[in-house]
Amino acid sequence: MSFKRLDPQDFVVSADSITSTLWSDAQPTLSTFETSSTQEAGSSGDYYLSVYQTASSDATAAVQFDIAYGNKQGSGSIAYNSGVVGKSPTSTIYGQYRTMVLGDENTDFTFGDFTADEFIAVPIERARYKEGLFPGSLNLTLTNGSDTLNITDNSKDVSSITFVDSGRKFELVSGSNGTAYSGTGYTPGSGSYGWMLPDIGILLLNSKALEGSGADGGIGLAVTRSNGSNGGTNTSTFNAISDGASFQLNSQETITSDFVFVRARNAEFNYSENPSYISGSTGEVLYDEFINSPQSYITTVGMYNDNNDLLAVAKLSKPLLKDFTKETLVRVKLDF
Amino acid sequence: MGYLNNSVVTVDAILTKKGRELLAKNDGSFRITQFALADDEIDYTLYNPTHPSGSSYYGEALENMPLLEAFPNETQIMKYKLVTLPRGTSKMPVLDLGYGSITLKQGATLSITPQTLNYLSGNQTFESSGYTAIISDVRLFNTFNGVGVNTEQAQAANSTTTIGTNVSKTVVGTTINLTATTVNTLFGNNTQLQATLTVIGRDSGARLTIPVTVTKNS
Repeated sequence: MSFKRLDPQDFVVSADSITSTLWSDAQPTLSTFETSSTQEAGSSGDYYLSVYQTASSDATAAVQFDIAYGNKQGSGSIAYNSGVVGKSPTSTIYGQYRTMVLGDENTDFTFGDFTADEFIAVPIERARYKEGLFPGSLNLTLTNGSDTLNITDNSKDVSSITFVDSGRKFELVSGSNGTAYSGTGYTPGSGSYGWMLPDIGILLLNSKALEGSGADGGIGLAVTRSNGSNGGTNTSTFNAISDGASFQLNSQETITSDFVFVRARNAEFNYSENPSYISGSTGEVLYDEFINSPQSYITTVGMYNDNNDLLAVAKLSKPLLKDFTKETLVRVKLDF
Repeated sequence: MGYLNNSVVTVDAILTKKGRELLAKNDGSFRITQFALADDEIDYTLYNPTHPSGSSYYGEALENMPLLEAFPNETQIMKYKLVTLPRGTSKMPVLDLGYGSITLKQGATLSITPQTLNYLSGNQTFESSGYTAIISDVRLFNTFNGVGVNTEQAQAANSTTTIGTNVSKTVVGTTINLTATTVNTLFGNNTQLQATLTVIGRDSGARLTIPVTVTKNS
């Protein structure tokens, strides 16, 4: 008499796509960029540079994204062994992304119409992007000296989505909010500015395109290809992002919700076992009015299994009056 | 002509501690099959059937009260359920356990046979579907089970075991058997352990909670 069984049609499963700001503290645009000298000097600094939203010593500091230069020939970093040419942190990065993104060791990255044997990877921290990047939300400003470039993905310009082994792929172009400023938004001779891979939360920047002069559509980015030191291109890319001072990107995730429709008919749930509903210990209702016109106030909905174990519970924002003249329908949302 | 309010009240649910436990077990016990409504936080003495403005205002003090968020502890929420009874009911079902509180020494055994007063117009004192008993901390008892109800659901509830963690346990029966723990390490430096026993009539919805104390053998 206090439990009511749910019918199969009372359950509805819904999957909703939720987008939100990606950076820490719900900032829509990241404008300050910091690195950690400890991380840069450590062994991981040979491969990538972590970028924080505030000083890394700050208690609220959290990695927002990393920067990792990859080169097929191993250029741009110190070889693991001076006697083995071409095996260095940048070749490891290149191979890592080639396997993950292309899934084929015989394929190279083709940014727009330009085949490159190097790139600058910008993997977003997983906790930031949740399930994926939201195409059309990217606005990244890169600045080097007097040259400034605004990059976005071309998700709103394409009529069909291109897939690689790691899922959806969009070209990075000169533009904003998912649309190129003009034409394809590519550079004149070095293809697009890279790829956005929303399903794995990674941007691949075309270092050749960024390296070009302003007239060539680039910003004159210093790309280090000597083998004398590690991390040169990572640092110059960080400086270009930091000087641009504007990195806007949203996350996207699918929330699967279980809706349960709770229905109380007019003759149901009109009395209460609340101790204030009765008078004394004999169980007499508190007011004579409650004998023929009982009124109860729903504040809580409990969801039970067959063993009467309380599995989930929901509270209403304010009490809901129930009596013999009213029927109630409450939609309970369970998120997983 | 005005618009009818056809909106559905939508609320977000949270999993209880018990719900998370059963979800983690992954044995099929996390399956919502029924619901109940409760009026936790409502104080019906605030209802005013002598309000000078008339019956529309009797519940004035209750209808706009702010409510607290849900507690994840399943023993502290859904305490006072709404029940379906025939119109004209003047007395609510009330449970009688025979005890206002329980104190047991380590290893001691007790059987409780709940009765329901005012049930079915006073023609019956035992509910045919039995009683649900919830102990708030199952570690306090070597034995905590119910007997007398032989449905599949009741037997499933009585056969579940939870070892070592501070979670509640729910059993079903017409008689509830308790044997206090013999494990000394649970006590630490304390001489007694405490929990609450909640008994709910499965037909009437009547509920009673009493404190349970287990004392350490010296």
